[in-house]
Amino acid sequence: MNAAQWLVRALEAEGVDTLFGYPGGAIMPFYDALYGSALKHILVRHEQGAAFAANGYARATGRVGVCVATSGPGATNLVTGIADAMFDSVPLVAITGQVPTTLMGTDAFQEVDVFGLTLPLVKHSFLVRSVDELPQAVGEAFRLARSGRPGPVLIDLPKNVQTADATHLAAHVAAATDAVPQPQAQALRAALELLSKARRPLAYAGGGVALGDAVAEFRTFVEATEIPAVLTLRGIGALPATHPLNLGMLGMHGTQAANLAVQECDVLVVIGARFDDRATGKLSEFAPHAKVIHLDFDAAEIGKLRVTEVGVRGDLRGSLDVLATVRPDCANWRERCQGNKQRLAFRYDAPGSSVYAPALLKRLSQRAPAAIVSCDVGQHQMWVAQHWQFNDPRKHLTSGSLGAMGFGLPAAMGAQLAMPAAQVICVSGDGSFMMNVQELATLVRYRLPVKIVLLDNQRLGMVRQWQELFFAGRYSETDLSDNPDFAALARAFGVEAMFVDCAADVNDALDRLLACDGPALLHVAIDAMANVWPLVPPNRNNAQMLLDPQTLEMEDADAALPT
Amino acid sequence: MPRYQLDLTLRRAEGALTRVIGTAERRGFRPLSVDGEAREDGDRWHLRLSVEGERPAEFLTTQLEKLYDCLAVEATPCP
Repeated sequence: MNAAQWLVRALEAEGVDTLFGYPGGAIMPFYDALYGSALKHILVRHEQGAAFAANGYARATGRVGVCVATSGPGATNLVTGIADAMFDSVPLVAITGQVPTTLMGTDAFQEVDVFGLTLPLVKHSFLVRSVDELPQAVGEAFRLARSGRPGPVLIDLPKNVQTADATHLAAHVAAATDAVPQPQAQALRAALELLSKARRPLAYAGGGVALGDAVAEFRTFVEATEIPAVLTLRGIGALPATHPLNLGMLGMHGTQAANLAVQECDVLVVIGARFDDRATGKLSEFAPHAKVIHLDFDAAEIGKLRVTEVGVRGDLRGSLDVLATVRPDCANWRERCQGNKQRLAFRYDAPGSSVYAPALLKRLSQRAPAAIVSCDVGQHQMWVAQHWQFNDPRKHLTSGSLGAMGFGLPAAMGAQLAMPAAQVICVSGDGSFMMNVQELATLVRYRLPVKIVLLDNQRLGMVRQWQELFFAGRYSETDLSDNPDFAALARAFGVEAMFVDCAADVNDALDRLLACDGPALLHVAIDAMANVWPLVPPNRNNAQMLLDPQTLEMEDADAALPT
Repeated sequence: MPRYQLDLTLRRAEGALTRVIGTAERRGFRPLSVDGEAREDGDRWHLRLSVEGERPAEFLTTQLEKLYDCLAVEATPCP
């Protein structure tokens, strides 16, 4: 048995059932070992697709995703997906082939120092220079990827190490996951005291709630204390969209109710969130009246960007269980928040005959309430966050921190492979979709019934919106009106496809899309000048939102109607 | 600008030194001096790194503590 064969068995022992990759010279011994193994290898059409697919697999399941590439360009093509896993805390193991150790450092063919290249993008990495280092590297890679705050780990494996004799190595035993430390009792007592005195308390929850398996405890905390909650992009689903205490997403494209609540609250309970600039707006004016209780697994996040009155590091479940016992006197505040939510809710009655993307997404959400939804990056991503009725954070796959266009389609593939019985929908834009369009071939090869909704405004929409609002309408390089015929393109890959450009036809088009047995694409033409509202401009606080001029006109018209 | 002396114990592993100095720079701290040596039968580094930066030392030490190769870190303000 050589080291590559040992590694395949080790992956099986770690519980890996599926891995995503693309072969090449320096990883050939590993691919040879895969031949005939029980592992299901998904052959993508670009290594970035492999990294994002493994990422989507991990996000949907919480299990470690695995991707594989060869040295040089194969390895560099993984990098964006590895970075995405790092900044969204996704458990991932990336295995790269490397030139033989005798050639390393000689500028050999397809030699790239991927270990050095990814140092700031991984939780840890191993360059395995000898077969004897392999067992520890593999065990530690899986332990680190899934323990604590999850993240990506790289294993760079020179070709001659893969072919080295490994008969003396013990069979791999799956690495244990580290125990989660319990929160400190003293900090919890301080948090209880502060929260009990609050009159305008607010919960601000992020991706850490799902990462910490604390969704149930978070919901219990909110319902027991009756404290209103706002969610980050990655926190969406931690509380059902329709829950009366859920004020929606905060931040740049957050709801008015959420942003106003943040600016008015007197105690902010931050749960697995990290004061990201897209959530806070102008940081110095964020939650200006609030004392902060910050619950997080990662000590480095507590006090990183905002002074914290009480920081509680450790298991979120334990912290939330304790805080759920408090009963702050905040009925008036709660009613004010809920009143804002009702009064300032999104409207879907846009005039005109063209397709209004938010209304389409809301209707699709109602038709597919249990779907896993992946999206790309841009306007459509924000519309999904605003208008899809999520009730589970693991069903919302979005590149939150890195904001990587091209994420959506391969992430949907990964989720569908992880959960074959689930309905998986990819919402994309015309800019993002073209970044990994080649993965349509992978959908067809493996008959993955992913449904794609492609919102096409023939523009790089979010950038165009900013050019309109903040760059005096100078539309520099955002025109994509020479896009291909997306339906014809999809059909060329063997994907069923349809087109809609009229609001009256949307319901029928959605029904036809969802009725398809295999992969299918709905190409939706939308207004090139459609914008995402509200929008907190740069260097403004979250109360200084720009609102949809059309909605404001409609509200004025409503107010003028006789009662 | 505030200066700090960082005393670090590291695994003597490939990349450990680069990770520490890279983390300091990326988090907004400029290295002023570096010195160190292998210890404990050669499987540990003891590294002394002095840096300057506007952010509090904890901003950096909490990040360094997360590095797998960093076994201990202590920051002392420089006079």
